[in-house]
Amino acid sequence: MVDQPEMLSPLHDLAMPRAASDTAGVELGERLCASLVQVQAWPNTVGRVEKALSTLKGEITIMPSGPGRWLIEDESEGLEDRLRKKIPSAVGAVTGLTHGRVVISISGRKSEWVLASGIAIDFSTDAFPVGETRLTHHHEIGLTVHRTGETSFDLYVFTSFSRAFWQWIERAGEEVGYSVT
Amino acid sequence: MSGFRLNLRNGVGDALSDETINFTFNGKPYQGRKGDTLASALLANGVKIVARSFKYHRPRGIFTAGSEEPNALVTLRIAGRKEPNVRATEVELYDGLIARTQNSWPSVNFDLMTVNQLPGKTFSAGFYYKTFMGPSRPGHKATQFWWICEQFIRRAAGLGKGSAHADPDRYARMNAFCDILVVGSGAAGLAAAQRAASAGAKVIACEENPTLGGALQSAPDILDGEPAKDWVSHAWEELAQEPNVTVLRRTTVQSYFDDNTFLAVERVADHIAQPEKGQPRQRAWNIRAKSTVIATGALERPMVFPGNDLPGVMLADAARRYAVEFGTSPGRSICVFTNNDTGWLAARDMAKSGVIISAIVDVRLDVADHIRAAGEETRAQVRIGAAVVKAKGFRHLSAVKVRDFSEATGHVSGHERTIPCDVLAVSGGWSPAFHLTSQQGGKPQWDAELQAFLPGAPIQKWHCAGAMAGQFGLRSAFRSGEEAAVKALADCGLEDGESSVPVIDGDSVDHAPAPVLEIKTPGKAFVDLQHDVTADDVHLAHREGFISVEHLKRYTTLGMATDQGKTSNMSGLSIMAETQGKPIPDVGTTRFRPPYTPVALGALAGERYGHLAAERLTPMYDLHVEAGAHMYANGPWLRPESYNLPGENVEQAYIRETIAVRKSVGMVDVSTLGKIDVQGPDAAEFLNRIYSNGFAKLPVGKARYGLMLREDGFLFDDGTTWRLDDNRFLMTTTTIGAGKVMEHLEYHHDVVWPDLKVALTSVSDEWAAVAVAGPKSRAVLRKCVTDCDVSNEGMPFMGVRDGEIDGIPVKIARLSFSGELAYEVFCGAHWGRALWKALEKAGEKFDITPYGLEALSTLRIEKGHVAGPELNGRTTPLDLGLGGMISSKKNFVGCALLQRETFSKEDRFQLVAVKSLDGQPITGGSHLVAGQKDEPGRSQGHTTSMCFSPELNCYISLALLEGGFKRHGEKLFASSPVRGKHVAVEVINPHIVDPKGGRMHG
Repeated sequence: MVDQPEMLSPLHDLAMPRAASDTAGVELGERLCASLVQVQAWPNTVGRVEKALSTLKGEITIMPSGPGRWLIEDESEGLEDRLRKKIPSAVGAVTGLTHGRVVISISGRKSEWVLASGIAIDFSTDAFPVGETRLTHHHEIGLTVHRTGETSFDLYVFTSFSRAFWQWIERAGEEVGYSVT
Repeated sequence: MSGFRLNLRNGVGDALSDETINFTFNGKPYQGRKGDTLASALLANGVKIVARSFKYHRPRGIFTAGSEEPNALVTLRIAGRKEPNVRATEVELYDGLIARTQNSWPSVNFDLMTVNQLPGKTFSAGFYYKTFMGPSRPGHKATQFWWICEQFIRRAAGLGKGSAHADPDRYARMNAFCDILVVGSGAAGLAAAQRAASAGAKVIACEENPTLGGALQSAPDILDGEPAKDWVSHAWEELAQEPNVTVLRRTTVQSYFDDNTFLAVERVADHIAQPEKGQPRQRAWNIRAKSTVIATGALERPMVFPGNDLPGVMLADAARRYAVEFGTSPGRSICVFTNNDTGWLAARDMAKSGVIISAIVDVRLDVADHIRAAGEETRAQVRIGAAVVKAKGFRHLSAVKVRDFSEATGHVSGHERTIPCDVLAVSGGWSPAFHLTSQQGGKPQWDAELQAFLPGAPIQKWHCAGAMAGQFGLRSAFRSGEEAAVKALADCGLEDGESSVPVIDGDSVDHAPAPVLEIKTPGKAFVDLQHDVTADDVHLAHREGFISVEHLKRYTTLGMATDQGKTSNMSGLSIMAETQGKPIPDVGTTRFRPPYTPVALGALAGERYGHLAAERLTPMYDLHVEAGAHMYANGPWLRPESYNLPGENVEQAYIRETIAVRKSVGMVDVSTLGKIDVQGPDAAEFLNRIYSNGFAKLPVGKARYGLMLREDGFLFDDGTTWRLDDNRFLMTTTTIGAGKVMEHLEYHHDVVWPDLKVALTSVSDEWAAVAVAGPKSRAVLRKCVTDCDVSNEGMPFMGVRDGEIDGIPVKIARLSFSGELAYEVFCGAHWGRALWKALEKAGEKFDITPYGLEALSTLRIEKGHVAGPELNGRTTPLDLGLGGMISSKKNFVGCALLQRETFSKEDRFQLVAVKSLDGQPITGGSHLVAGQKDEPGRSQGHTTSMCFSPELNCYISLALLEGGFKRHGEKLFASSPVRGKHVAVEVINPHIVDPKGGRMHG
C-alpha cells in the first residue's frame, strides 16, 4: 500500500505568501480541510444528530448550514467515516466534502469592507456575531462564510470556483492593501 | 456677463483655498482655486458661453450651481477617461483638468450650426415624430434622399460624444446595511442624523456635494453664536466620529427601490486627476435601510419670458452661492427678477459680498417690510408689481426690459423700461426635490400656498423633512428633521433619542411665491433649456391634442434628457394647466424614474465586465494548459477542445485523438459532469420516481444509465447513477444540466414528496473524474490500480468498485460514452492532478492519448449516443430510440403526459444519422430538405451534432428527421442557406460504431 499523495490546492501558486506593498488592510490566506463533512438530519431525527455531533472530539468546527443540516470541519482526517458510524442512514445522511471546498481566509481591520464590496450580507457584528455562519454567494459563486473573530472570516468556496474567487478577493483587496500569509 | 473674482475675505469665498489650480477649457489655459467648481472658475474667468443648446445651437451660459444644471454640459478628460455631458456645476477643479464644450462647430462662441434656428418653426414640438417615419408607409413615402438627410439632421442635434477607448479605471460596489438612511446633509438631514444617532441607531448619511451642510454652507444665519457654515461643519465633524454613523460625501442617492433598498453612487476619485492605485473611480452603494429620512431640499425654479435662455440669465440662489461660497461675482451688474422673498435675500447676500445689484424686479405688489428693507441694503432700484418682459443681448445678456405687471390678470402694461445688466438672477419659487419618493410611486400633493407639489403620503418606511417636505426655513428644517428621525427610530423599534436644535438667529422668510411662472409677451421663451422646449411648443402640443401630461412630456420632450427637467417641470405644468384652463393639480405630474442624475454604466457594472460569469476550472486545468490544449468555454467551464500537436488544427487533432481511442486508449477529463449525492432510507424510491427506468432494484456496486423526463413527458437530462450502498447513490448528470437537475430534484423532494427521507447534495466539486477509453483501457488500469480486480469478471460492464491508484482512493465505474471498453475513474478533487499523471504514466506503454471535447463528441456521435443537442427540450425517449427505457411497471415524473397521442405519431422528428456524400462538412443546424439548392422544398428535419467520422471516413451528423426511423438509406440535402451550404447526404442508422455493443461489453 502506497501512502496517499498530498492534496493539491486548485489555487496552486496563486496564493503564495507575499507582503503588502505598503500597509495591508487585510490579510488573505488559503488552506485545504483535513476533513469537511456535511450532515443532514431527517425531520424527526434533528435532536439525535445534534446529540451525536456534541460527542465529537478534537479540533471541530460545526457550522449550521440549513434546517437540520451542518457543515463540519475537523483538523484531522477521517471524519466522514467516524460520522457514518455515529449517524446511520436511519438517523441522517453523511456526505464528504473535503475536496469540494477550499477555505479562503481573510482578516484585518478592513475585512468587512472588502467582503461587503462583493457579498450582499450584513457583516456588522450585531447582525453576524463571531462564531456564526452564513450561506450566501458572490458573483454566482456559492459561499459558506464563517466568522472566526471580530475581523476574521473563513470562506468555504467551491473548489472549481476557488481560483475565480481568489482573483476577485485579491482585486477587491487592492483598494485597502493586502498581504498573503 | 463678465464675471470676476471678488475680494475674498471671511464670509466671501469660504469654499476656496489659496492653492492655485491650472486647467484648460476648449484648449485655452485658465486658473482657478482649490475648492472651485469648473462653473465657478469659468465665471471667475469671465467666460460667458459654455455650451450650445441641443436643437437650435443657441448660446447658453451657466444657469445653476448644482446637479440640476440644464446648460453647462461639458466633456471632461481625454482618451479612455473622457466623459461627455458632465455638469460643470458639479465638477471639482483639479490641477490639469481638461474640459471641452460639446455640440458646437467650429467653436462654442461661433457655432455654424445656429442655422438650425432659421427654420425655427420646423423644429417645433414633435419634429422627430413628424419627420422620422419609416419608409414607404401608407401616407408617407421616404426616399433614399430623405434617409441621407436624416443622418445629418440627427447629427446636428444631440449632446456630447463618448470615448471609443477602454476606460482604464475601476468601479467598485459596496453593500451596506443600516437602521436609518439620511439623504441630504442640510439642516433637516443633520437634525435627523443627530437625533437618530443619539438613540443608538446605525445611520448612513449621504450628501451629493463635496461639503456637508447643504444650504447652511452659504446661509447668513447665526447658529449657537457661530456662522451657519462653521456651525454645521463642526456638527458634522462631531457626528461622523460616532461609531454608529457613516457619512458619505460626493454620494448621490440615485434610486429608491422596493423594501427600502437604495442605489447611491459615490464619486470616489472624480475630483482628482486619476484614482490612486487600487482606488475605484466611483463606488455604487447598495444600501438596505430599515427606515429612511429624505431631506433632499428644494430646487429653485426659473421664470419663463422671452430671451430667458441667454447666457447671463441664471437662478438667483445660484448667483448668490457663487458670490458667497465661491467668492465670484457672476457679472458686473446684476438684476434680480423674483416672485418671492428669497430673490430679495439673494440680492442682499450678493451685495454684502461685493456684487453690484442694479435692480430688483418683483411681480408682487405686496412685499413684507423687512424684505423690502433687505432690498434697500443693496442700493438697487426696486420695481414691485413689475416683470421682466424680455431679456436682450447678442450672444449674452446686455439688458432687460421691464413693464408693470398685474399678478391678478397676468397682463403687462405701461411703459417699457430698459435696465442694463449682464446677469439676470431669477427666482420663480422653490420645488421640493421629491424625486426619490416619486420613484417609489409616492403621489405628490399640491400645496396651493407654496405653489408647489409636496411628496405626499409615504408608501414605504420613509419620512420627509426640511424643504423637501415643504418645511422651508431653518427652524422648520431642524424641527421636521428631528420629527422625521423620531418616526424612523420607531420603525426600527428604537427610543426617541435626544433633541439638539441650535439657537437660530436669522431671517424670517415667507417662501410662498406669487403664482406666476410665465410672463406672456411675444418672443421665444424657453421652458426646458436642455431640450430647447419653448412655451409655444407646449401650446402647440395642446392644440394638436396632447392633453395628458404623460403625452405632453413624450411629444415635446419636456423634462427629458440628462437633467430630467429638474428646473423645467413646474413651469411646463403651469403653462399646460393654464392652456387647458385647469388648476395645476388637475393636470398632474409625471413619475420620476431612477436615477436622480446620470450614472455611468461602469458604476452599475462594477467589476462585472469581460466574462460575466465566473470561470469554473477542473483540478487538472493547469495540466491541460501545459499540454498545449486549446481551451474552450463549455458553460461556465473551461475545457480542452483538443490537444493540438505542433502544426495541427483542431480538426486534425480531434481525428487523431478519436482514432487513438478506437485503436488503443485515450483519456479525457470529465470532472465537469454534474454529480449529486443521493442518500437516505428512501433514496432508491426517490430515484425510481425521478427516472423513467427502474432504479429500485439496482444492485449495490452497479451503475445504470437513466433518463429523466420533465412533467410534460419531454426528455430533461440523462446520466449514470451508481449505487454505493443500500441507501447511498452517486448520480451523474450532463455538464450543462447539473444545476437544473439539482433544482428539479430539490423541487420534487421539497414540494411533491416531502415525506421521503432523502438528502440531496451537489458533489460536483468533490470529485475529479477521468474517463479511460479504448481497447487497451483495461490494460492501463491493470498497471496502476491496486486493491481492485479490473478483469471482465471482477468488474463487469456497469460495475462500480473502490480501489487505489498510487495511493489515491478511487471509485472506478465501467461505463462507456464512446462505445469502446471504457472506465470512469473518480477521486477526491485535490488529488485530481495526481490521478491524471498516474494514468498518463500507466498508459505510456499503450501510447495513451489525452483527448478533448471534440473527440469526446465524435466518439459518442459515431456510437449514436445522445447529448445536449439532442436533449433539446422537444424530444421524448421514443424520438431518440430510447423507448426501451420507459418503465411500464411504475409511475415516474412525466409518465402521464408521455402517453399523449401525439408522442406516438410516426412523423415525429426521430433520431437518425446522415453522412455527407460529397465530402463537404455538414453544418450544425442545417435543414434536411429533398430539393436542390435553388428549390430546396420544405424542411423535414435538422442536423444536431456533426463531426468527421474516422470510422466511415466522411463527415456525419446526428439529425432529427420526420419519421426518420423508417427512412434509412434515403438521400436528402443538408441545407444551411445563411452559410450558403447545400450538402448531399444519406440517412443512416445512428449506431455506426459497434452497433451490437461487443466492444464495450468485451
